[in-house]
Amino acid sequence: MDPFEALGVEPVFGLDLGLLEQRHRDLSRALHPDRHAASGAAERRMALGRAIEVNEAFRALKDPVRRAQALLARGGMETGEGKEPPASPALLMTVMERREALAEIRSSQDAVALARLIAEVRNEETRVQAALAQDFAAPSPNTAEILKTIGELRYYRRFLEEAQTIADELF
Amino acid sequence: MLLDIFDPKAPPQPIGIDLGTTNSIVAHVRDGRAVPLTTCDGTPLLPSVVHYGIEGSVVVGRSAAAYATREPERTIASVKRFMGRAAGDAETTRLGAYKFVPGEGSVVRFDLGKLKPSAVEVSAEILKSLRQSAVDQLTHVGGAVITVPAYFDDAQRQATRDAGRLAGLEVLRLLNEPTAAALAYGLDKRQNGLFAVYDLGGGTFDVTILLLEDGVFQVKSTGGDSALGGDDMDREVAERMLTAMGAVEPHLRTPEVVSIALQAARQAKHALTEATEVSIELPKKGGGELNFLLLRSDFDAWVQPLLERSGRSCRRALRDAGITASALDGVILVGGSTRVPRVRAYVQELFGKPPLADIDPDLVVAYGAAIQADLLARSSDEVLLLDVLPLSLGIETMGGGVDKILPRNTTIPAGAKATFTTYADNQTGFDLHVVQGEREIASDCRSLARFKLGGIPPLPAGFARLEVSFNVDENNLLSVKAVELTTGISQNVEVKPSYGLSDEEVEQMLIDALDHGESDFELRRLRDAQVEATRILLATDKALATDADLLENDERSRIERALSTARSAASSASKAASIESAVSALDEATHDWAGRRMNRAIQAAIAGKNLGAIEQSVAHAAGVEAHLAKHGER
Repeated sequence: MDPFEALGVEPVFGLDLGLLEQRHRDLSRALHPDRHAASGAAERRMALGRAIEVNEAFRALKDPVRRAQALLARGGMETGEGKEPPASPALLMTVMERREALAEIRSSQDAVALARLIAEVRNEETRVQAALAQDFAAPSPNTAEILKTIGELRYYRRFLEEAQTIADELF
Repeated sequence: MLLDIFDPKAPPQPIGIDLGTTNSIVAHVRDGRAVPLTTCDGTPLLPSVVHYGIEGSVVVGRSAAAYATREPERTIASVKRFMGRAAGDAETTRLGAYKFVPGEGSVVRFDLGKLKPSAVEVSAEILKSLRQSAVDQLTHVGGAVITVPAYFDDAQRQATRDAGRLAGLEVLRLLNEPTAAALAYGLDKRQNGLFAVYDLGGGTFDVTILLLEDGVFQVKSTGGDSALGGDDMDREVAERMLTAMGAVEPHLRTPEVVSIALQAARQAKHALTEATEVSIELPKKGGGELNFLLLRSDFDAWVQPLLERSGRSCRRALRDAGITASALDGVILVGGSTRVPRVRAYVQELFGKPPLADIDPDLVVAYGAAIQADLLARSSDEVLLLDVLPLSLGIETMGGGVDKILPRNTTIPAGAKATFTTYADNQTGFDLHVVQGEREIASDCRSLARFKLGGIPPLPAGFARLEVSFNVDENNLLSVKAVELTTGISQNVEVKPSYGLSDEEVEQMLIDALDHGESDFELRRLRDAQVEATRILLATDKALATDADLLENDERSRIERALSTARSAASSASKAASIESAVSALDEATHDWAGRRMNRAIQAAIAGKNLGAIEQSVAHAAGVEAHLAKHGER
């Protein structure tokens, strides 16, 4: 289901996250299984399904990558890994370098270096997210550019996830 | 005894149960306040100890604990640590007095000679005793909310629910302990803000970061260790005592000796809450006694590594919530082990503020459970608990890796879909291995279950497209459904849980537990069906009073007919099956209407806030600014 519709919000990239959160709560108040604990089995199942839909939509819209994908999907565009154009050689180079740095940290257990590396990639992620917002704000958004940016974000995302796993063990 | 005199006139009283590692508590809400019920020991706290006599008697609580040094192997304490664990689990090799049934079984069983109870059965004895106390004091006991550590995995939760069923309880809900504690605090103090709950019990540790706002308890992140608690402190001390006693080699560590050391260690720990040193008399190898002097400073140093383990979980939870400790408005202490002065000092160092412990840390979880049970029974809308998945859910990939389908700290109920395709021509089945945990390799995570999907139509390789839905309900329990997309056919999913008992095993245990087996079981089923029918009749009447305008054409008459059939079945049928079928017919008749009612509720939730939305978000922004100003960030 389209997450914008599930939450009843306007399908734009620049969502008001505070409002989104409020909407999620209001819908949860109506749909959470605890609200239907006294009802029959069929109604309980229905409420559970709807509550899951709302939670899932909320999770998707909070995430810039998935929000962007949902917007493209509304335009009938299939997205997802592999659908994005190949990354630029420059990006691949930086990603490779950072990966090496991460591998080094894994063996050296250098918490300070890890924190620095995470902060660095986070900054990068924030910058690219802003660029994505710009892309969508354009009068006629350039979908090729958007797909490229999504691909780039995905690289940072995956890197940060890996770094976080190491951080969990280190700190 | 599972069957008691059933007085249909007395309204059922919902109860909340804290099934703890060391102590268990049952509470209920009386005149709007949560109060503990007196257990068979005459106190609110029932030691979670079960003694199995050689001649077949079973006692629970303090009288069971009295056997600990005489018959240590038959006196089972801290059974919670074995819930949802398999035979041979690391937990069975820790310092302790028990013998286990060896092997590869999917549950831990205690070897008591003829009797070999599983952890679920032992827990059920504790729950039965609590249930009996509740029946004695409340006459007619309704559904129960049972608390579990937030960090419990699916198998540990299933085991807890099975124990509840086995004890004859209607388990309304499994509630996370820190969330329960927050509920008790939040409603008591009418406080809003961002809180951390530090919950160190006898055998489990949880940390939860949650945002409390006008009755919404939104968990931001949770972390912990389901094998870390006061027991581990006792073991640290007991190890040193055993050395002092001269029992170093394994063969000298008989169950009796180990049990004496563990008990002495616990006494010493309790004494050190007030005193700065304590002297304990211990028997020496080869006779005689020795005085074991324990300084609080020594104890503090010994437990420090355990506290640091908890600290790691806390830091991760803060990171996952995307906040630093300075953003917290308060830290709540839960669990008996937080009475240890060093624990309090450590929590203060960790979060940079003195923790709150104004509600008894031993009782606060049971209070929260009772409050939730009461809210559920009244269908109240004062409070909303939005909890999260504690551990990531994933599927094992071909190479033995893990494909994460739901990350930890996802708000529940949660769902995810994954699409698979067949890799061989005419392949009609598919195996999925679901794991829980954060590691990248499947074998390093905890195996949840293997799902066998069958009945896929024979198609060339890669043509069949299987969409598998993973749903996690409000109790954090997983269910799996599969549909083949090209044909739209629902696939039959066979679940092989990696740990725990199957539904059939639990049912058989239920039958065995009753005095008259099958016939008592039928009677109980009848009673359960009556309770369920009464509830649905009530809900339908209520819905007819508010949403009759949403009925279409002949719907009303169909529903009225189904209602009257169900009503007469509930009051006069002698077979559970006839009530059940009348209820499901009613369910069927109201199905479409229920969908429309739900849509109306959704529309109301969306529309109701549109006017106030702007005000709300302005107020929210102002609140955030005030918050940032207060904490001097940015």
